[in-house]
Amino acid sequence: MEAEASRPKQSFNVGRWIRPLIGVVVLAFILWRFWNVLFVQQVYGPDTWMRFAISGIILGGVYAVIALGYTLVYGILFMINFAHGDVMMLGAFAGFFTLEALRGTGLLNQSIFWSILSVIIAFLVGMVAATVIAVVLERVAYRPLRGAPRLVPLISAIGASLFLENAAQLVFGAQRQTYSNPTIIERNVGWTFHIGEGDVLLTYTGVLTFVLSVLLMIGLALLVQRTKMGKAMRAVAEDKQTAALMGIDVDQVISTTFAISGALAGAAGVMWGLHMGIIYHFVGFLPGLKAFTAAVLGGIGNIPGAMMGGLTLGIFEALGPAVLGMPFQLKDVLAFSILVLVLIFRPTGLLGEVLSEKKA
Amino acid sequence: MNVRQALRNGFIIGTISIFIILLGLTVLVGGIVRGWFDLSSNALGAWVLLGLLALLGGVNARRNTHAASWKEAAVAGLAAGVAQGAMVGIFVGIVATLIDSGTEVRQWLVQLTPEAIDLLRFGAAPVAAALIVFAIFTLAGLLGALPSYASAHYQWGAAFRSWFWGMRDQGLDLPPVAAFREYKYAPYIVYGLGLVLLLIAPQLLGRYWNYTLGTVGIYVILGLGLNIVVGLAGLLDLGYVAFFAIGAYTVAMLTAPAPHNIGMSFWLVLPIGVVLASITGVLLGIPVLRMRGDYLAIVTLGFGEIIRILSKSDVLTSFTGGPRGIRAVAGPSLFGMDLSSSQHFMYFIILGIILVAYLTYRLQNSRVGRAWMAMREDEDVAEAMGIYTLKYKLLAFAIGAAFAGFGGVLFASRNKFTGPEDFTLLVSINVLCLVIIGGMGSIPGVVIGALVLKGLPEMLRELDDYRILVFGALLVMMMILRPEGLLPSKRRRMELHEEEPTEVVAAGGAA
Repeated sequence: MEAEASRPKQSFNVGRWIRPLIGVVVLAFILWRFWNVLFVQQVYGPDTWMRFAISGIILGGVYAVIALGYTLVYGILFMINFAHGDVMMLGAFAGFFTLEALRGTGLLNQSIFWSILSVIIAFLVGMVAATVIAVVLERVAYRPLRGAPRLVPLISAIGASLFLENAAQLVFGAQRQTYSNPTIIERNVGWTFHIGEGDVLLTYTGVLTFVLSVLLMIGLALLVQRTKMGKAMRAVAEDKQTAALMGIDVDQVISTTFAISGALAGAAGVMWGLHMGIIYHFVGFLPGLKAFTAAVLGGIGNIPGAMMGGLTLGIFEALGPAVLGMPFQLKDVLAFSILVLVLIFRPTGLLGEVLSEKKA
Repeated sequence: MNVRQALRNGFIIGTISIFIILLGLTVLVGGIVRGWFDLSSNALGAWVLLGLLALLGGVNARRNTHAASWKEAAVAGLAAGVAQGAMVGIFVGIVATLIDSGTEVRQWLVQLTPEAIDLLRFGAAPVAAALIVFAIFTLAGLLGALPSYASAHYQWGAAFRSWFWGMRDQGLDLPPVAAFREYKYAPYIVYGLGLVLLLIAPQLLGRYWNYTLGTVGIYVILGLGLNIVVGLAGLLDLGYVAFFAIGAYTVAMLTAPAPHNIGMSFWLVLPIGVVLASITGVLLGIPVLRMRGDYLAIVTLGFGEIIRILSKSDVLTSFTGGPRGIRAVAGPSLFGMDLSSSQHFMYFIILGIILVAYLTYRLQNSRVGRAWMAMREDEDVAEAMGIYTLKYKLLAFAIGAAFAGFGGVLFASRNKFTGPEDFTLLVSINVLCLVIIGGMGSIPGVVIGALVLKGLPEMLRELDDYRILVFGALLVMMMILRPEGLLPSKRRRMELHEEEPTEVVAAGGAA
């Protein structure tokens, strides 16, 4: 014991050989499966690949929007907002109730104008509800813990996540609810293309989801880079004390950050509902976890990184099982494995942890 | 006089009240109270709950506005009452209108059954009902503020506290109690009595209680394992259930007749399961333990999910039985005697707890334990002090995983079954909750935590649906109010309350 403690690095340096070893094994596995699927077995035709790619890009857009929320909060507080996925779930429910109410009054499909307006209203309600919840969450569960050891706010966030999930289950019931889309953007309806031997469907909801997520990303980038609030956010991310000395209300900025991340989560929730169709109390958990993976993949705290990470992860998840010839049951395993691999080989992510690097 | 503050308090209480109605707690409490007093309706319990909340609104408003006279207290209470009354009144009015117009509200908000709203309406029409609710909440706000002011004004609270602690000290000073406290062997007598009680208890309890308390005991073992990882070494592991699953599946695969019919003896499999879980802990630990704390939490969570999804998937069906799990897992036998009833298992579990608790106790006060605690407090400083942190982290992971594997072996073998649904994320969360709520790094804390979090819900069956909700709220509240847990270790308490030097000195002096 005594001897080991005094010269540890020579006797027990696991890091030196373990990373190359894992890397070689993973690469060899991927190449072997890739070869097998693409050239030996030729399971899928070009139309199937196209279908996978489309679903991956759409999914990636949603992940990117959720991941932005993680990244914003992490960039400022260095804390994983574990309850972010549940904020998204509540936003999805708010949008669901709005659409149900509009359907109840008969406005949903009255005319094209009303249909478009109802979708816009659903998005607004979802975003506002999620914003309110995110701000309250920050006020109740996170603000009293500022300056506490790192694990303390994380545990609080886990508690908040459990609370929101189970409150949603008790209030909304455990059954799955089906989103009532207006007929102009019915699910599984869209443009059809003929590729290879089959038809590929590009759904309206998918296009809407992707376009909207790109718009949100652009809007956020502008907000952070061009506005005064964005400047304040960047200043607080870099150094809270100095920012406070420069006359920035740090609490206010953090609150606003949570509000923005909540609004993004709410939009993502409504998109999820419109595109995937089914929501329930647990619907935020997996997308939340994967969006976190996406944020880490792109470099947490880094806004372009979150966008890139989201899209990459979505495409990986859709194409990965096919490329590797794995059963589709295991696509979640693939996503988590990517998280582990990224953290082993490039813990700063693809684009680097911009904000925290500057801090160092 | 800050009326806005009072209104804000009222809105908060109003929101909470509506939330409680939406959660169905009014009906639940109403049912419990009806059962106690043999009433004909749930309304009394529901209104006691809501009334207490409304009183609280008045108390809070009075306190937060620092009302300094009877008149100001009354204004604060009234303002809060109006705010909360308006919110809840309008809510009840809207829901009552919807229900009267024949809308099926419960298709979206499951707890809002017509009966649940009838409790709050007193049979009135929607508008009248809203007004009645408004009146009750306003009145309660006012009623809450006035005695609260009186209590603050005449210092009733301080009087009660001095009376209470005085009674306690008097009780401790009674001659027999004081003599026993002085007696040299007193702690041994207490421990001995406890041990005898533990040995007799399984004989006295029925099958149901042996089974339930056995589950609590297994959670104590898991909690002690996670206590090493989270409580001593400060590594947040959210995938702890993975090691539990590995232990359980090992014993199932090697003893059950179903997938491979290996049919090994329980006693042989027990160490295999423990060692296998521990090896997995090391293998997972090597790549991930270099990460910072919060990344570690997410990666381990992912790992836990991977193990569960794999155990459920078609790929490993030939080993794990897929979603159906493995049946007929063998129990232990000794000299030809079958020892696999819940009662016998209770003894194994008690023995296991004692063993694991003893190991933890010894580790905690050893060089390794001190290294862990140094790492928990500040990793960089620990490294600078010559602690090779990766090694000690791996050791913590391996030992924690071994305890979990042990718990898994006992669990699968006692249930005679194992399947993927036994190993959801909720198990990890449950164990984490009991470690944190009991007190990180404290052995009695883990035991109390397990009894409170796993045992109490068994006794209060009707509250079962609300268990996880309460856990979540408890986690947040504990972190804010008492991050060291209910029964903290002394060192942990000192770490978390650095800003209160006098208390630290006092605690150090007492110890």
